[in-house]
Order: sequence, then structure tokens, then C-alpha cells
Amino acid sequence: MREHIEGSPRHSDSHDLRIGVYVCHCGKNIGGTVRCQEVAEYARDLPGVILAKDSLYTCSEPGQEQIKADIREHKLNRVVVASCTPRLHEPTFRAACEAGGLNPYLLEMANIREHCSWVHLHDKDAATEKAKDLVEMAVGRAARLKPQFELTVPVTRKAMVIGGGVAGIQAALDMADAGYKVYLVERTGSIGGRMAQIDKTFPTMDCSICILAPKMSEVGRHPNIELLTLSEVKAVQGHIGNFQVEVLKKARYVKKECTACGDCIQACPQLIPDEFNAGLSIRRAIHIPFAQAVPSVYLVDMNHCLNNQGIVACDRCFQACSHKCIDFADRDEILRVDVGTIVVATGVDVYDPTALTELGYGKFPNVITTLEFERLINAGGPSGGELIRPSDRKRPRRVAFLQCIGSRSKRSNPYCSNVCCMNTVKDALLIKEHWPETEIYVFYIDIRAFGKGFEDLFQRARREGVTFIRGIPGEIIEDIDTGDLTLLGENTLLGNHYRYHMDMVVLSVGIKPHKDAPVLQRLLNLSTDTDGFYMEAHPKLRPVDTTSGGVFLAGAAEGPKDIKDSVTQASAASSRANILMSKGEVKIPAITSRIDPEKCTACGLCAKVCPYHAIEGGKEMGYYRVIEAACQGCGACVPECRFEAIDQTHFTEGQIVSQIDSALARDADQKILAFACNWCSYAGADFAGVSRMQYPPNVRIIRTMCSARVSPRWIERAFLKGAGAVLVSGCHPADCHYNNANQNTARRVEKFWRRLEKLGINRDRLRLAWVSAAEGAQFARVVHEMAEGLKSLTPAQIQESIEKLTKSLSKKADAS
Amino acid sequence: MTIKIWKHFPREDLYECYQCARCTGSCPAMEVAPAFGPRETILKCLNLGHDQVVEDEKLWLCCTCNVCEDRCPQKIPICDLLVALRNSAARRGNIPYRLSVAIELLAKTGRSMIVHQLDEMRSHHGLDPLPPAPVDEIREILKKTGLNEVVEF
Amino acid sequence: MKYALYLGCAIPIKYPGFEAATRLVCQRLGIELVDLPFSCCPPPTSMKLVHYDSWLALAARNLCLAEEEGLDLMTLCSGCVNTLKEANHVLKQSDSKRRKVNRILEDHNHHFKGTIRVTHILDVLYQDTVVERMNKEKVRDIPLKMGCHYGCHYFRPPKMMYPEELSDAESYVPVNMDHLLSIIGVEPTEYSRKFLCCGSPLGANMDQDAGYEITRQKLAYVRERKIQALSVVCPSCFEQFDMGQIVLARKTKEKDKIPTFFLTQLIGLALGLTPKEVGLDVHRVKAKKLLESINIS
Repeated sequence: MREHIEGSPRHSDSHDLRIGVYVCHCGKNIGGTVRCQEVAEYARDLPGVILAKDSLYTCSEPGQEQIKADIREHKLNRVVVASCTPRLHEPTFRAACEAGGLNPYLLEMANIREHCSWVHLHDKDAATEKAKDLVEMAVGRAARLKPQFELTVPVTRKAMVIGGGVAGIQAALDMADAGYKVYLVERTGSIGGRMAQIDKTFPTMDCSICILAPKMSEVGRHPNIELLTLSEVKAVQGHIGNFQVEVLKKARYVKKECTACGDCIQACPQLIPDEFNAGLSIRRAIHIPFAQAVPSVYLVDMNHCLNNQGIVACDRCFQACSHKCIDFADRDEILRVDVGTIVVATGVDVYDPTALTELGYGKFPNVITTLEFERLINAGGPSGGELIRPSDRKRPRRVAFLQCIGSRSKRSNPYCSNVCCMNTVKDALLIKEHWPETEIYVFYIDIRAFGKGFEDLFQRARREGVTFIRGIPGEIIEDIDTGDLTLLGENTLLGNHYRYHMDMVVLSVGIKPHKDAPVLQRLLNLSTDTDGFYMEAHPKLRPVDTTSGGVFLAGAAEGPKDIKDSVTQASAASSRANILMSKGEVKIPAITSRIDPEKCTACGLCAKVCPYHAIEGGKEMGYYRVIEAACQGCGACVPECRFEAIDQTHFTEGQIVSQIDSALARDADQKILAFACNWCSYAGADFAGVSRMQYPPNVRIIRTMCSARVSPRWIERAFLKGAGAVLVSGCHPADCHYNNANQNTARRVEKFWRRLEKLGINRDRLRLAWVSAAEGAQFARVVHEMAEGLKSLTPAQIQESIEKLTKSLSKKADAS
Repeated sequence: MTIKIWKHFPREDLYECYQCARCTGSCPAMEVAPAFGPRETILKCLNLGHDQVVEDEKLWLCCTCNVCEDRCPQKIPICDLLVALRNSAARRGNIPYRLSVAIELLAKTGRSMIVHQLDEMRSHHGLDPLPPAPVDEIREILKKTGLNEVVEF
Repeated sequence: MKYALYLGCAIPIKYPGFEAATRLVCQRLGIELVDLPFSCCPPPTSMKLVHYDSWLALAARNLCLAEEEGLDLMTLCSGCVNTLKEANHVLKQSDSKRRKVNRILEDHNHHFKGTIRVTHILDVLYQDTVVERMNKEKVRDIPLKMGCHYGCHYFRPPKMMYPEELSDAESYVPVNMDHLLSIIGVEPTEYSRKFLCCGSPLGANMDQDAGYEITRQKLAYVRERKIQALSVVCPSCFEQFDMGQIVLARKTKEKDKIPTFFLTQLIGLALGLTPKEVGLDVHRVKAKKLLESINIS
């Protein structure tokens, strides 16, 4: 039985407002600072409010049931929930409203937690007053909300996985097995990634390539997987369910008929350090990345081939090849593919410890990294699995491992790289297995053996006689005649100085995001954390989603992790992608722009600024119109129109203006009116709240999807209402979620500054700040600075600015 | 007379130390003298309070070479700590004899060393005699800064 | 090119040869030096540790003298450059410290403004224009295998002393002395623990033997690489290596000692000055034999 849904066309223009307000305590998170009952009482007297309650946990089952019951019982036609950030629970409460029979777009939230109780912990009075303001703003906006119906668009049932390491491989297999076509894009000549370089894995001591190779060949022969190696993503257009991706497939110069016989290698005159072997051996320009490569086809590294000027200067390999499958006429190709979902699994690089000069890496041949060690001890590596040291190829009798090199440090990477402790334990056991007389010393600060089987492996290592010394050496010295090394340091547990003589030192280096990670970040509108790893949508509840719908994360690209966690995350990401693809359709938020053709003068300014070319029309037509399916809802178009012909659904002029008026109704001179974009600045302000960063209670934040929605008319209105200061904040210039729409924001604010300067009004009262989702501290700092600025602002100055602005407006009106 | 050491050096800067011992591992004094090194100094300050630390004369074995701070992964201003601790120690009378003699010399003569037959030696190298030091000015400045609270002059 | 010459205490009083060499070298290279009534810097290894406020005030006085003449300050000693650069930085940054110091100095007609820079002779000589001139004025090479000892106070802490040279790991490994000497024909040679302290502050304040023990370690590493002589930019480091080898030899009976040169002595020799003119005759570890082997006498 379909319930009659409130807000359907018959009731949409109802002036009979029946607003229900819920003020959440969120346990003590809000209730401990804000006097929720008082706020609810305040709300009761606001126009249109017929019911106002405070509840302990509004998002919980009983809380939601209460809302549903109230909608039915009291015939509520608008709901306001004052609680946490809408970025967390707007979907929850919208679903509750819908279940109660109310159109979900008739819900408004007031952020009295991240933006209020958590950031004003020590000023309960100010927090309560601010909460009242925020509720009043929400009620005013709710009164102007209209019911909306979301457009459904089909989802392309194809996926793309970017990155062919174990995470990318797993994600591709999971989606391909579910029946979807997958494009697996890998930058190098073969899939396999870091796992292919490792010898054994912890804690099981499995042979890494032995467990990986079967998965790699499955990918190679899977009917649903199109493997694109030597390929890079160059451009991404579109949105969730409908991405158009441009992939650059670099020329391989070797046809797929290649049998990997290796005859060409002998003929090639070029010698290049082999990246797969971490530079410990030499390869040729024509080569196969490693023996078990998939695809099992050689490739020519044109950067080092003598034919890189476009002329065939050397054809020795071609002559040597009995199958004649080398083709210097091969060219790069651009492929354009349509996919519905994307999984980013671009993995990590290792830290280069050369800058830590006291360790001698790069100067002393017998100081190596764990990656180099891994290649040495690997049977397929440059020494055939013999543990020999670089200087004299002799087997080292005494080996030291140094932990936390390039991790947990302000001199390199501040985070813990997760895998190094167990990797060293595994390496130590490997050495002991083959050469039990070797003395092994591990110099550590903390041993992190947190996973399943990890503590066991650690204990095994100690039982085998591996010595653990707590205290990282301050310096390494080399004996230039023997190549032996001396480690100088302090044993913190014994409290004495040590001098250990070693034959070889292995630096347990940390892992960091791949150096090209920022490129993909721009292409896909992803956020990164301060360490450069891609940011998940929510650290606990949405660990593989990103804020870009349809784009998921898997593996170490999201944060340092081992193989098990990478594989787990890959399956999680493909499961999330499979949900979208199996449903086959996705609802588009109803926040697109609409043009009134009667008011439109066909000036075309809105179409000019649209980042998606979603507005079409012309003077011949007499008007412009928005292509709804292409509109992403940034709102950059609205401020361009001087004829009030265009507005953004669910972020209308009327709704925002009412928020401005409510915010500045009292003590406007003490207030900072802030416009924050949903993806970056609002999230950054949320992050400041989550981190409990304290700042003055002057700011009132109004959310828009993009900072480009912010209209100069709003700024003008705010100053006319006596606002002390206005803050416009958005994503950093190259990171705009809507393809650089924020360039418009900058342009408009700069124009307004010039206007203020001309009028002789202090331009510091209008501030432009780029704040990313990870920059809570930056947001707090900006508020501190602006609040400080307010202190020196006098009522006379405010009055003067109002008069000047009013005069300039009437001048404009007279002129037009 | 004591100084409130944590007013001159923020104690929070020490909290980040995770006792990796790269500092003490690099310390030249540790190898040749019964020093206790920067790591232990920080640990003692955090766990036991600085009173014990500033009583210990071994504090003065520090060479002020700054390598500890250079290698510290948390960039803890260890040298500033050791300056603050030694200033505090001096006020409690914990100051090596030779050092107090050197300070006294500086306060009284405006220079940190005396040598016999200075003018002769200088002319041997073709140099003019050294002009006298502005002893009175130095003395007055040092009276105002309160050097007397650690060394009598 | 004009600088206020800050001699410190040790050089004009104990090693005036360095001063003489410096004056002659600067004359040849067109660097004008101005003498001002400076006092003790005071040392970062003594006064700063005992009474910070006194240290800051005395350093400020020296900086003011240079400021009043509108001249940048050039020191010859690492300890001095460390004190004066840090004091200059601290006084520029901290309003409260600057006010406090100015209140004390105003009775003596000094007022710190923060208008000049502090530099060391090594940095002055390493400038492109000076190097060019050096190449022109050079009359002979010094083909010796030398080990450079930069000391500690010359460049640490790097954030304060050379913030523009910070590496990716927030450190600074100086190479300018090595480069400068290679221009005059020296073969600058690496050795283990090149940046280890000479041990002077430890010796001066507490335990002379312990200080020399550090020096002994350094000299052992230097010998390992068959280095013929050391080059230093600080009189305290010089004393550790020069006097230090005499003291150490009493126990170790080491006959083969390694001579130490102050940087400007080497530059002076390359520009044609005699060993006597640059003050080599008063070194405890004589360089006579070594220099004769490369035809310098």
C-alpha cells in the first residue's frame, strides 16, 4: 500500500507550514556543551514550527522512529534535525523522512556538533546561542524547501581498475567474476606490482610470486578483463555510473606473438639499471619486466633505445628475433572507454634514504634497503637468491636491520609504514633458514606485530637467535678497505653506548604514495590526506569509498598496508562497485540548475562558466536551458545571471538569503558569515570539529555544493545587514570538485575587493580562504584571525560601510 | 635561586620523544665520558622532573655540537633544552669550576682569554696591538642582566 | 665588498697568525675590512650556557656596533658566527627579548634594529666574485690531500645557520670548504665521521682528556684515509688538533703528526704569501716539512 506522500504536487505549494524540529544531544557530544532543551524551546517560537523536541540520539532506531511517528501524527511537512554534520547523517534522516511519508528533500539539518559543541567546548553560553542561530537558519531555509524527485540515470556495467598490483588484480578479478567487463590499466609493462618483487610474505612465509602468479595469469586470460599495460589514464569526464576515460596506451614495439624466448636481449647494445631489481642488475632496452610477467611479451623501453628519434638507427633485436615480432612502427594509442565505476589501486613507492646522510646509503655499497635485500634473496633476483653483499659479493656473516627509516619522522614521512617491522622479522627468518650461522641484529624503537600470526612470527625470530636491540644507530661508519660497517648508537634498555661491527646493513625503509598520485588526484577529484595517500569518504564507515561517487580505493594507495589488507580492501572496493553495476542505475541528487525561459535574455553568461558545458541555447532560440543529465549541481552559473532567470534546485537564492538573514538577525557586527563548499571547506570545518580544535564562536557557516555558487549579491547583503566579516572558502585552486569552477569564486571575490576599496571600506572584512577537507587546523586558524580582526571594528565603521554600500546601490539603480 | 625552566623552554616540545636514541647514538660525549646523553636527559625531565637533572654535574659534558637535534626524527629542540637546563643548573651553583673562572674573566676583562706578551706576539705577525676592551661598558651591561646571580664579579 | 671584521678573542690573542693571514688575503682579494670596538661575542659554549640574558645582551652590543656603521659582520671563528647569527635571529623574531635588551643597551647609546647580516669568512670567500678573483690572483697550487673539518658551530643547527640549504631530511651537509680548497689545487678527501665535533667544549668546560679523546678518534679516521693535513675554520677546533696532538703524543708517542691549517692560511699560501706571513711558524705541529715537499717555504 502506498502511503500518500506529503509534498506531492497537490501539497507542494502549501503555505500551511508544519515544521518539526529535533535537537539532538548526541549523548554528551552536543548535550555536554549546548543546552539542548533551551535550544528546542527557542525553536518552538520560530515561525512555522509546530513541534520542537530534544532527543538523546536522534540517529538511532528509536530516534528515527520518533521522527516517522511525528510526521504521521502531527502531519509535519518539514523536518529540521539539529545534530551532527549533514555530511554524516543527511542520508539517514532523509531516509527516515521518506519512510514516514515525507519527501526527503524537505529535511534540513543544522550542524550543532562539528561546527558548534565540539569547537566551543569551554563556552557553553556562546555555544548555546550559536546553536539557536544555526537552528533558526535551518528553520528559515526549511520553510522555503520544495519537494524534489531524483533523476535516475543508467550505470554503465563496465569497470576500470587503475593499477595492476595485487589490490588491482584482486579488484579486477572480483568484478570480472561477477560478470562485468573490466579494463585494468597498468603503467608498467606487466601487472604484479610490489608483490612480484617480494621473495616471501609474512606471516606464512609463502613464496610471493608463487601465490601471485596464478592470479596474474587468471587476469591475463579472463574473458571479462581487458588488460592495458604500458597505459596511463589521461583524462576523465563524467560522473558516477557514466565515466568517459581517455587512456594513453604506450607503444610496446613488440607484437603479442612474442614467445619470450629472449634471443633479442643478447643483441641489444644498451645497458640500463633494472628497476625491477631495484637497480642491482642491468637490463637492456628491449626486455621483459620479470620472468613471470603478464602479459608474457617483451617490450622496448624507448627512452633508452637508440631508435628514440623516430628513425630505426639500430635493428639488432629485430634481426635476432626468429619470430619477427619486433615492430618499430608501433605507435602510442589513445583509447576512449566508457565505464560506470573506477577502482584506484595505484600502490606505493619506497622511501629513498639518501638524504639521511648519517646512514651512508648511496655512499657505502653494503648499506642497502629492504627492497634491494628482497631482490638479493629472491631466487629470481640478480644473485640467484644467494645472499651476497654488493661490495665484494661475499656472504655477510653479520647483518643488521635498521627499523623506521623514513617513517615516524618529521625529517621524512611522519606516519608508521605498517609493514616494515614484520617484513624485517620475515627477512631475518629467511636468512636464518638458509644460513643459520649468520648473526642478525634488528635495531628497533617499537616492534609492531599486531596482525594474525604476527606475534608468533616475531617470537619465532627471537627463538632462532635474532638479536633485537632497542636503539637506532646515530651513525654508520665504513671501513674503506673491507667494506665492513660500524654502527654507533645507544642500547636504550641497557643504557649503554654500542659499537657493532656488521658486514651488511639493511635499512627498513618506509613506503609512500606513488610520485604520480597527485596527477590521478586531479583527474578524479580525489582528496588526499596530509601524507599524500588518497582519502576515504569516512575513516570508519566508508573505508573504500571516495567522495567522488563511483570511484573506490583499494590497497596501499589509500594508506600503508600489507598484502592481506590490500586484498581485503580490493574485494571490498569491488563489492561496492558491483552494487552500482548490478543495480544498473543510480539516482542523481536533485540539485541541478533550472532556467526560466521567460526571464532569460539569452546573454549566455551562465553557459560560459559551466564546467560541464551543460547549458545550451542561443540568441536564435531566444533562451538557454540546462541539460539536466549533464549538470553536476555546482551552481557556478547562478551568480552570473543579472536577470534572476536561473536558480539552483535545493540551493535557491531564496533559501540561502533566508539563511543569511537569520544568521545576521542579531549582533551582526560580532558575526563572521561563512560560505563553505561541501567537498572541501565544509568538510575541513567538520574535521576541525572532529579534532576538537577550538576557535571563537563568531562564525556562522552556510553550506553550498561549490564555492562558485556564492553570489556577490549575498556578500553585499551580508554587509548591508551589518555583518562584521564575510568568509568565502572553497577547495584549493587545482582541487575543485567541479573542474575548476572555483576559478569563478576567486574572480568574483577579487572584483568585490576592488569595489570595497573604491568605496573606502576595509577589504579585510571579506576574506577568501582555500581550505581542504584535511585542513581543520587551517580553518580554525582563519576563524581565529578573522575574530581577532573583528575586535578592532567599531559600530561607526559598520554603519559607515552600510551607508556607502546603500548609496552605491541606489546609484546603480538610478543608472539602469 | 631557581628559574622556572618550563617558562623558558616549552615542556610540550619534549612529549613527542619516543626514545629512539638516535640523539644519544650520535653524541660525542657519550663515547668518552660518563655522560647520560640527550635521550636519558629528556626521559628524566619527563618522568622525574628537571630538579634531578639540573643537580647532576654530568650535564656539562654536552659539547653543544647540535648533532642530536639534527638527527632527531621529531625535531625536538634538544640543544635549547640543554641550554635551559644548564642555565638553571648554574643558578643552583652547579657549574664547573673552570667554566666559572672563564666567565669571571670575561666579565672582568671583556675578553675570554689572557695571554702574556700579547703586543709582542702580534707585532711578530705584523699586526697592531689590540685596542683595550670596553671593560666598563661590559661590566655595566652584565650588572644589569644579572650575571651576578651565577658568577661573582 | 666591505665588512666589519669580527675577530673574537681566541684569534687576536692566541692565534694572531690567522688574523694576519686573513687581513693579507682580504687585501689581495679586494675585500675591505673595518675594525670596530667589539668585545667577546660571547661563546655559545660558555656564557650562553651559564646566563642566557647576559649572552644575548653582549651579543646584541656587538651587532649594534656593526649596525651603527651599516656594515655586515664577518667573523673568523665558528663560535662567534654561531652566537652572532643566533642572537641576530632571536632579536629579530622576539619583540619581548629585543625590548629587554634595548632597554639595557640604551644607556650605552645602542639600539638593536636588525638591519645587518652575520657571515663567516668561509662564506665570504666562497662568493662567485671572490672565487673569480682568487683564480686570477692565485700564484701556486697546494697539491695536498686534505681533510676539511667544518666543526659544529659553523653550520648547526642548520635551520638557524643556513635555512636556505636545508636538504629533504632537514639537514645540511656543507661542501663549500672542500670546493674552495679544490680551486687552489687541494685534493679534498673524505673521512669517517667528518662532521664529528672536535671535542673542544667538552675539554674546556669539564674534562680535557675526554675532549682530546674525541680528537684522537677523529685523527685516527683522518689517518685511515692517508690525509696529509687538516683545514679548519675555527680557532677552537684548531687548538684541539694542533695542541691536542702534542698532548695526545705524550701518551701515544705518535711521531707522525698531521698539521692543521686555518682556511685563510691556505688561501694566503696559494696567493703567494710565505708560511711566515700567514703565521705558520707558531703552530705546535709544524707544517714545514709538508710544505717543503710541495715546494713552499
